[in-house]
Amino acid sequence: MHIVVHKAKCQGHARCWAQAPNIFKLDDEGYVLLGDINVAQGDELLASRAVRSCPESALEIDRTSAARFEPAAMQPRAGEA
Amino acid sequence: MTLNQVPDHVPAEMVGDFSLFTSPGMLPTPDGDPQAATACVHAGPPIFYSPFNTRDGRGTWVITRATDQRRVLQDADTFSSHRSIFASALGENWPMIPLELDPPAHGVFRSLLNPLLSPKRVTALEPAVRERAIALIDSIAASGTSCDVMQDFAFPFAVSIFLRLLGLPDHRLHPFVGWANDLLHGDDVKRPAAARTILAFIDELAAMRREEPVDDFMTFIVQAQVESRRLTDEEVRGIGVLVFVAGLDTVAAAIGFDLAFLARHPKEQELLRSEPNRIVLAAEELLRAYPTVQIIRVARKDIDFEGAPIRKGDYVSCATMIANRDPAEFECPDTIDLMREDNRHAAFGYGPHRCLGSHLARREIVIGLEEWLARLPAFRIKEGTAPVAYGGHVFGIENLIVDWS
Repeated sequence: MHIVVHKAKCQGHARCWAQAPNIFKLDDEGYVLLGDINVAQGDELLASRAVRSCPESALEIDRTSAARFEPAAMQPRAGEA
Repeated sequence: MTLNQVPDHVPAEMVGDFSLFTSPGMLPTPDGDPQAATACVHAGPPIFYSPFNTRDGRGTWVITRATDQRRVLQDADTFSSHRSIFASALGENWPMIPLELDPPAHGVFRSLLNPLLSPKRVTALEPAVRERAIALIDSIAASGTSCDVMQDFAFPFAVSIFLRLLGLPDHRLHPFVGWANDLLHGDDVKRPAAARTILAFIDELAAMRREEPVDDFMTFIVQAQVESRRLTDEEVRGIGVLVFVAGLDTVAAAIGFDLAFLARHPKEQELLRSEPNRIVLAAEELLRAYPTVQIIRVARKDIDFEGAPIRKGDYVSCATMIANRDPAEFECPDTIDLMREDNRHAAFGYGPHRCLGSHLARREIVIGLEEWLARLPAFRIKEGTAPVAYGGHVFGIENLIVDWS
């Protein structure tokens, strides 16, 4: 799963981070980091729940078919230690 | 000045009779549920004009749908938050910072303050918050089988966390509660008097920290730089006042509404007591059901919004309790379901002014509920008493007397 991060809409509610801190990382001010996110298969439920919790609609699940084939250059961030 | 006069540009058919100040359930009401009483607006249009919808009797447009409130509050270029609410009580005009600054000045101060109240920083404050909750609740448990939640727990808890943030000793607690109460709920004599007292206190504290820096919020503020300069006295005041008015009453009211709900719903109370890991999620639903703030913006230009002719200078109200009961946003919005997921409620507002203290407020609420439920047995509203709840600019609850005999 691929999550589009609309960074300009993020207002630092940090609801995504509260639900899935390993998937959604925050900067020192508490706003989501810039850059879209590839989610590992096992984390998809958690990640989509976090997306639906964003009061600003700053996160979006990319459902286009292209998004399913992740470019090799993008390293998955989900499940990081 | 004539109050309650509908401006000429407002079409008669867009005037509604709902007000957060005067509608049924908004005045102090025994066993009242003012948040639920706002839900009636969802039977009406997405936007209407309420002729009496501020403390001083001004009219506002009322935005009912969550999605429209999001649009208004995300668009600070069109809808300004500069109202000098606090200063105007003194006949002055300066902003509470960052709330009453618009972009781009807003972003400068917001970036300065964000790290002080970020999720990470709040995690570090947690042990102190928990220690304070435990001390208060243990003393309540030791002194009988009944208490007034607001006087004995909610206010002292919220105020003491605030004092700790400012690096002040707990013995200053009692005057603070009085000042906050007078400022937010006092009459035309008490409000300006309290405002002056609070300002004098903030000036004095700032002077003290300039002279002798310690590791606390105010020291940070007086030493901070924005755009390669120190903050002006007015800016230091603006920040100090906002922390004061935003952080005390709201958290105390939230804890009061939450414990009132649990006192009236023994099944839910027992669920959270026996499975405390559910409290974090439940607290979000309680924030959805019992938010306390009406957010007001001022139109900076003429704009037609969902068919309403909003004109420059008009007030636009985004009441969090109304957004949180929007059936287009929440399934069964009038049902309080402590296991509700995907709860993107509006309790802390939307847009760049999202409550700066939201992460601390959340932790205070969760820790307050955790320690209360862990340390006291099943409790209910004391027989013969009725908590008085009210609407208005900041919703609240008083005389919440509970009993566990």
